[in-house]
Amino acid sequence: MTLQQQIRRNRLRSGIVVVGFVLLLGIVAGLIGAVFDLSLGVVALLGAGLYAIFSIISSRRIVARMTGAQELGPDQLRPLRRLVENVSIAAGLPVTPEVRIVDDPAPNAFAAGLRPQTSYLGVTTGLLRVMPKRELEAVLGHEITHVRNRDTYLMTMATIFAGVIALVADIGFRMLLYGGGRSRKGGAIVIVLAVVGLLLAPYAALLLKLSLSRRREFLADAGSAEILNDPEAMALALRRLELDTTTVAYADASVAHLWVESPTSRVESERRGVLALSSLFDTHPPLVQRIAALEESGGFRLPEQLPPHEPFAVELGLL
Amino acid sequence: MLWLWIALGVVAILLVLVGIGYNRLVRMRNEAATGWANIDVQLERRGDLIPNLVETVKGYAAHERGVFDEVTRARTALQQASTPAAAGEANDVLTAALGRLFAVAEAYPELRASENFFRLQDELTDTEDKISAARRYYNSTVMHYNTGIQSLPWMLVARPLGFREKEFFSAEGDTATPQVSFTPAT
Repeated sequence: MTLQQQIRRNRLRSGIVVVGFVLLLGIVAGLIGAVFDLSLGVVALLGAGLYAIFSIISSRRIVARMTGAQELGPDQLRPLRRLVENVSIAAGLPVTPEVRIVDDPAPNAFAAGLRPQTSYLGVTTGLLRVMPKRELEAVLGHEITHVRNRDTYLMTMATIFAGVIALVADIGFRMLLYGGGRSRKGGAIVIVLAVVGLLLAPYAALLLKLSLSRRREFLADAGSAEILNDPEAMALALRRLELDTTTVAYADASVAHLWVESPTSRVESERRGVLALSSLFDTHPPLVQRIAALEESGGFRLPEQLPPHEPFAVELGLL
Repeated sequence: MLWLWIALGVVAILLVLVGIGYNRLVRMRNEAATGWANIDVQLERRGDLIPNLVETVKGYAAHERGVFDEVTRARTALQQASTPAAAGEANDVLTAALGRLFAVAEAYPELRASENFFRLQDELTDTEDKISAARRYYNSTVMHYNTGIQSLPWMLVARPLGFREKEFFSAEGDTATPQVSFTPAT
């Protein structure tokens, strides 16, 4: 599949997702309208639409705030920015995405932004401390592939819509529970239907979203391997992420609260449309699967022991 | 009458297919052209850095004439190269010449300690990396494009419509990057 096909397919998928979410939203609003009042359903629909538009407009800032990604000054971490420049040149991106730093010991990275021109990459300090240059490049290649394939766009849309539906369904559900009998109308069947529908809608939205995100990661791994012509680097990076979780979890039991928190915040940020590299962080098999896919397509086997390395942070002067 | 309609239908379908194929080929050709533009930018930047570098080194090692001439000649050859393959070759020659220049510079501790020299060296390494990144992209787009116009059914229409194979940037394809071995003064 060529890149252009990939991008067009993603656009099509984005379209399908939007239609799917609109339908879902229509159902939720319809249920609210049926149980309470038609005008209330319209209000819910309008409110949800406004909320979605607002979220889309401000998504870039929201993601930055939620991930705690810091912008870099013009002279900070130049080697890192050069690396990003090189990878995006190799990927054929028209504009080099900005780099932001997340001060977090857990190695991770994400890509955000609706269009390639306004996209940025977030890299944790932990990632810089763990990865050698070659593997860091592979991770950046992975994120840049997300930008290039418009995955960030697709996932931002999906996330926002999932969030809106969850919100509206939740409000409707609460009104149903605590709103009292007077405002309700319709028979028992309608109410049961509404309860079930409003309960299930958020899960339907989540499923719709998850159906998109799984394969994207494999594609981004493959994209990185292709851009850098080095599938082994990507596999090594994934292996290092995999190993890192275990070492960190056992090494510092005294700061365990930090670690309990950071995986959850990682899951949180993934749910909000940030394409986390190790989004499958605590579920090992997928990471293994991703490595296996790379091994198969690249025709190599990772050694049992990772080769000794110098983390990129040394070159950056962070260590 | 029926046959006429069938014939017309077949022609129409063929025209649509040719149209689709044509657009596809144009898109691939444009991608390759963008890829080449990316390389060109970096080659130019590299060429621009060299006179400065030669001047700087001259200030410390004026009698190393041969190396300066070699670098300057290689730079001119690169700027005059008209095809991607020729540019790739000229770029390799320049890389080799620069390697010798830096080897010469090793013998001059004052030069190595100079801020200006360090900066130029750094910039050159950076352009070298960027050229190889841009080359990877360009070569992959060229490969796509060439495969496109060489495979059925597009190969039947590609030539009449004026699509020609493009050259890769370096003769040996995408092998290991020719690295200038800058040993930083530590």
